[in-house]
Amino acid sequence: MTANQTPAARVESARARVRELMAHRESGVFLALVVFFVVMYTVSPIFRRPFNLTTILRQISVTSIVAMGQTLVIVSGAFDLSQGSIAGLAAMVTAKLWKNAGLDPPIAIIGGLGVGVLCGFLNGVLAARFRLHPIVMTLATGAVFLGVNFYITRGESIIGLPDGLTWLGRGLIGPVPALIVLMFVVAFLMHILLTRTLFGLRVRMIGGNLKASQDVGMNVERIRVGIFTLSGFLSALGGIVLLGRVGNALPQIGQGLLFPVVTAAIVGGTLLTGGVGSMAGTLIGAAIMGIARNSLVVLQLNIYLQDIVQGMLVVVALLIDQFRRGELNWRIILGRDR
Amino acid sequence: MSLEHAVEMRGISKRFGNVQALNGVDLELRRGELLGLVGDNAAGKSTLMKTLYGSVIPDAGEIFVEGQKAALRNPRDAQALGLAMIYQDLAVFNNLDVAANVFTGREYTRRVLGITFLDKKRMYNESEALLSRLRINISSPKLLVERMSGGQRQMVAVARAIGFDATILIMDEPTAALGVKEANTLLDLMAELRDQGISIILITHRITDVLSIGDRVMVLKGGERQGILNVEDSTLEDVEYLIVRGRSDGSG
Repeated sequence: MTANQTPAARVESARARVRELMAHRESGVFLALVVFFVVMYTVSPIFRRPFNLTTILRQISVTSIVAMGQTLVIVSGAFDLSQGSIAGLAAMVTAKLWKNAGLDPPIAIIGGLGVGVLCGFLNGVLAARFRLHPIVMTLATGAVFLGVNFYITRGESIIGLPDGLTWLGRGLIGPVPALIVLMFVVAFLMHILLTRTLFGLRVRMIGGNLKASQDVGMNVERIRVGIFTLSGFLSALGGIVLLGRVGNALPQIGQGLLFPVVTAAIVGGTLLTGGVGSMAGTLIGAAIMGIARNSLVVLQLNIYLQDIVQGMLVVVALLIDQFRRGELNWRIILGRDR
Repeated sequence: MSLEHAVEMRGISKRFGNVQALNGVDLELRRGELLGLVGDNAAGKSTLMKTLYGSVIPDAGEIFVEGQKAALRNPRDAQALGLAMIYQDLAVFNNLDVAANVFTGREYTRRVLGITFLDKKRMYNESEALLSRLRINISSPKLLVERMSGGQRQMVAVARAIGFDATILIMDEPTAALGVKEANTLLDLMAELRDQGISIILITHRITDVLSIGDRVMVLKGGERQGILNVEDSTLEDVEYLIVRGRSDGSG
């Protein structure tokens, strides 16, 4: 800013910059995150303990990793409701490969990730080639994956895992928990994928205008298969990290993962209609959910409130979204839109 | 085949069920002219243009593009011959920026470690150059299309077509949904493109648009060609008469 600007011009240029900033979809949620954080930081001495802050990051890491995959799927105009089941199956296969097949932990982990890739690929083929509706289809394949999980484990847990299997969930890289590093690495790579690569552009295209994408002559099928495969891979990665966090392999691992994952994406500003969404937004969404959950603990409120808070946050996020897209305004809410 | 013509269509017929949509229609588009295509609803304007663009296969007739007989089985064949059609329902991506829309389907990329990265800088630079060459008033190629007006979206679609090296542009009712000011800006752009050597066919209900910027106007009625008038020596009444009454001489 130059010194000879009039105050009015300075105000105007500042306003322009604020407008530009607010034009980014993430700005609103980021602001909400900052306000929420500052309030909690001020009112709660427990909240601001470094240990508590790392705990929040550790708690949101699995959700975030899996939510990056979900964000990609939603941006493409679809949904993947089988993520939790893939996470569970991949985790159990990993544990069984070590326990029953006697494989080294790193090999077992690669096997588990492979299972996730396979499940995701299957989803992709069913969605793309067979044109099945992704919501019902992934609900069904999710049931299948969960069934396979319980079938091969007979519902039995594997207690006591070696460090090699739990390192992703419990290990440290220097002073920083490995899973926090992993979360940021995944977020960064997925951000690059979505915003800087041809594949990412194609994802945004088919989510934004499927018909036009087909007219351009791009291979929509292949892109869809790629999207679901990646979602399967990240679900498996999340499941294996969860294995480490829990320390034991429980067949029901990954159940209950889906809702916070979808929530993070939606609160982070991903449009349910496809075409719009960002990894940064999803990370912020996950952080808001994480702080909300943590607040209940540090303020010593009933922890069962968390489901209520989480559900309400989603409803609020959906409402904000409707407002932003102009689908909703006060006249409609008050019933005066006739 | 005359090389004076960018497009020549001969005896194009098309029947849908028991409706004869087109009946032996001839059309000549001169190189670098702006030809208006007018007629009442169901006169066959859009069907005729879809046969030229390969999205409707005619039952009979021949099409020549730049003097060469063209076998048009789909829009991609037409695009390969330098044709571009801009429909009323625009095939733009509202969720993407201008540059991404301009370069849809032929993005500049760089391969690094087997991954195809977008060369965004080059696409921004080239779309900016393209916009300014076409004198399209869009302040930045980074603007999201969803924030734009209907007229600006049309212009993005035009820029995309021209960016694809189209030399023959078909526009189907581009001004139908626009306000007066925006429609005029778009018409100016079409005149500008024509002056830069692009051959344009403009389907429209607004005859005055054609009379103000067009070179010739062709009238269709009931799937048959009623005539081609020179804009210079025609009045609105002449055109309207043809649209409503058809050929006065009654000959085939």
